[in-house]
Amino acid sequence: MNNETFDQLLEKYADVTVHVGLNLRKGQRLMIQALLDDAPFVRKVTESAYKAGAIYVDVLFTDEKLTRLRFEHADPESITEVPDWTFARNEEYFKRADALLGVSSSDPDLLNGINPDLIAKNRKARAEKFDPLRKYDSDYNWCVVATASPSWAKKIFSEMPVEQAQSRLWEAIFSACRIDVADPVQAWKDHTAKLIKYRDYLNAKRYSSLHYTAPGTDLTIGLPEKHFWEGGGGTFKNGIFCIPNLPTEEVFSTPHKNKVDGVVKATFPLNLMGVLIEDFSVTFEGGRAVKVTAKKGEEDLRKLIETDENAGRLGECALVPNSSPIGQRGHLFYNTLFDENASCHLALGSSYRESIEGGPDMTEEEFASQGGNKSLIHVDFMIGSGEMNIDGIKEDGMREPVMRAGEWAFDV
Amino acid sequence: MDANHHQELLKKYAEAIVKVGLNLRAGQRLIITNAIARGVPPAGRALVYEVTKAAYAAGARYVEVVWGDEEMLRIRLQNAPADSFDEYPKFFVNASLDMIKNGDAMLSIYANDPDALKGLDPERVGALQKSHLQNNQEVSVNISRNAINWCVVASASPAWAAKIFPDLKPEEAEEKLWKAIFETTRVMQPDPVAAWQEHIQNLVKRAKYMQARKFSSLHYKGPGTDLTLGLPQGHRWIAARMPAENGVDFTANMPTEEIFTLPDRHRAEGTVAATFPLSYGGSLIEDFSVTFENGRIVKVNAKKNEAILQKLVDTDEGSTRLGEVALVPASSPIATRGHLFYNTLFDENASCHIAIGRAYRFTLTGGEELNDEEFMAAGGNVSLNHVDFMIGSSQMDIDGIKEDGTHEPVMRQGEWAFDA
Repeated sequence: MNNETFDQLLEKYADVTVHVGLNLRKGQRLMIQALLDDAPFVRKVTESAYKAGAIYVDVLFTDEKLTRLRFEHADPESITEVPDWTFARNEEYFKRADALLGVSSSDPDLLNGINPDLIAKNRKARAEKFDPLRKYDSDYNWCVVATASPSWAKKIFSEMPVEQAQSRLWEAIFSACRIDVADPVQAWKDHTAKLIKYRDYLNAKRYSSLHYTAPGTDLTIGLPEKHFWEGGGGTFKNGIFCIPNLPTEEVFSTPHKNKVDGVVKATFPLNLMGVLIEDFSVTFEGGRAVKVTAKKGEEDLRKLIETDENAGRLGECALVPNSSPIGQRGHLFYNTLFDENASCHLALGSSYRESIEGGPDMTEEEFASQGGNKSLIHVDFMIGSGEMNIDGIKEDGMREPVMRAGEWAFDV
Repeated sequence: MDANHHQELLKKYAEAIVKVGLNLRAGQRLIITNAIARGVPPAGRALVYEVTKAAYAAGARYVEVVWGDEEMLRIRLQNAPADSFDEYPKFFVNASLDMIKNGDAMLSIYANDPDALKGLDPERVGALQKSHLQNNQEVSVNISRNAINWCVVASASPAWAAKIFPDLKPEEAEEKLWKAIFETTRVMQPDPVAAWQEHIQNLVKRAKYMQARKFSSLHYKGPGTDLTLGLPQGHRWIAARMPAENGVDFTANMPTEEIFTLPDRHRAEGTVAATFPLSYGGSLIEDFSVTFENGRIVKVNAKKNEAILQKLVDTDEGSTRLGEVALVPASSPIATRGHLFYNTLFDENASCHIAIGRAYRFTLTGGEELNDEEFMAAGGNVSLNHVDFMIGSSQMDIDGIKEDGTHEPVMRQGEWAFDA
């Protein structure tokens, strides 16, 4: 990729982010959360957003190195301190239903070697501070996209010089986000139309549970009566249809918080705020994780599910065929946005309100009584493979194949 | 300078900033930012890391860095709707006020591009600047009262270095700028903290002398300059070290070579020619002069960016008047480097200067206790702006004039005319 081509692709990527992902409307404000290294992409997005009629684009840059410096140098007693303004700066935008863009490019090894106890304390303090922001989750159009930071690229393509690794990762991002085709906007229309068909098929089926089998996995996930499958984008309370993740290959809903039983084996490592959890399994009883085992990072994983009462329950089950363009690349990305679109996955913690019909307008109690989960965390982990079978089970016990050997078992 | 040596100096610089500049106390939180770029530009990263480490080592509870990208400002000015410049994130103001209330510390790191907004529509630049000043007013008022310990320092940046040393290769220019920063902030000396203590004492002696003379006005004479500035009763000469309202003594600028007080907002007569270009809101105003009557600016002249200068003066009533008068010998270590820095922090310490706009409350005895009307009645100026510009040179003579009309030399040919 020469520089000129790269610059053009970056511009197309910014345009797709603004017009397809966010579907930014004239007169909106846009808040961007990004790392300092994302500046070249953020500038392109900003220009594209103003051209689309944004009245104001604000960016909250953070520098991950400072996060690590705090863990290394600050008084451990102070690690739970989360200043009010870190909350206020989000709320200012959320409560007006302004558009939100998250740019993801974290160093997967950022917090390698830092005391898991401190990390867990800090994570919990932050989650508690930001929890009141959850009530705005369904209000505004938002999107998360990725950029190829040097540290992330180096993690994936460790055998290459860093510039080459970055260029490889950019190529993967542009390809997964359909930027390298002649008409990305049309390509996205076709792709989301397909995802919406799978979504509609599953919604019409009204399965009462899903049964997953694969090496190390035998798991039954009960679905709430009013569960709703999503995929290919959605309309939020400000009336704007958006596609919250680029790329996206998933169709997803929520498990019933009390109806998950059996054992599931992760098929990808989990990147938890810069700590990698590898080769792990989780056993559920009555919806709760009762046992975790991991070859690496078991303590971090245990601390994660102990974050609060419902951190050990599931809030998302997502279906992704093993042949997804991201899965086909044949390597890990060490980043949820990509890895979750390469594989069927589950999430520990909160359910999306949209995963239950009428969920966005329910009280917390109503949402919980419908089977929705509420926790300080929402952490995806990958369980899919070419050896996974999934059955849909109807109210009367009848079984239908949903996936076979990691692929959709039905046509739409 | 090899990389290790540079890193070593950066570390010493960061320590001096934390120990001398901020005098950061254990348990304080520190916010690091930059008003011009609405946050520290990415070029300031290396210094930010070292300051963060030094701050935690000094017992900081929490260090927050607000980052700002000047390119984002430029994109906004070029693309945003004309009526949208009042959009301003409130959280930053609230965060700053929260820290001030909590007695925390604030550091500003300059790592900007002096030409960031070059060539943009002055109407738009002015509108954005005014919106920033209005929205951020409560913060700047608190800082200029010394509500908390604060400090302004600089980091080299590629764009800034290229502006100062246009003939050098980019890496050489940056290295040369770092050298200038390290030398003028006394970081090259074996014990920078001790060197700073001695320097602060010398400046304080000059300020005490001027304080004891109780001049009622100063008369400036130089090429293009014939200006008389009244000094109000109760004016206080300040140098290098001040107590903040949170009880911490601090040094607000590194480097600093000046002693300063406030002029009477009603008493400025004559014309003053700037001796350095002025970098304002990302634009460079060059070869300019300003004429005063009864304290008010009645005329501005500039070879370049006169419209921007006029916009500055038109910001509000207080921007037509002065708020600071500062004395710096022409032989200051910054002046003797023999080049411009295109940055107030450095250029103001190379030259006698005055400031358009707000006077610091602490430059008037009891000024912190007065409301705006009382402060103005006492000769203090109130404005959204505080913009320094340089008027000194080795051809500048300054007399102090006493109540009875007697003249005493204060500076001759740009140098102190008295021993302290």
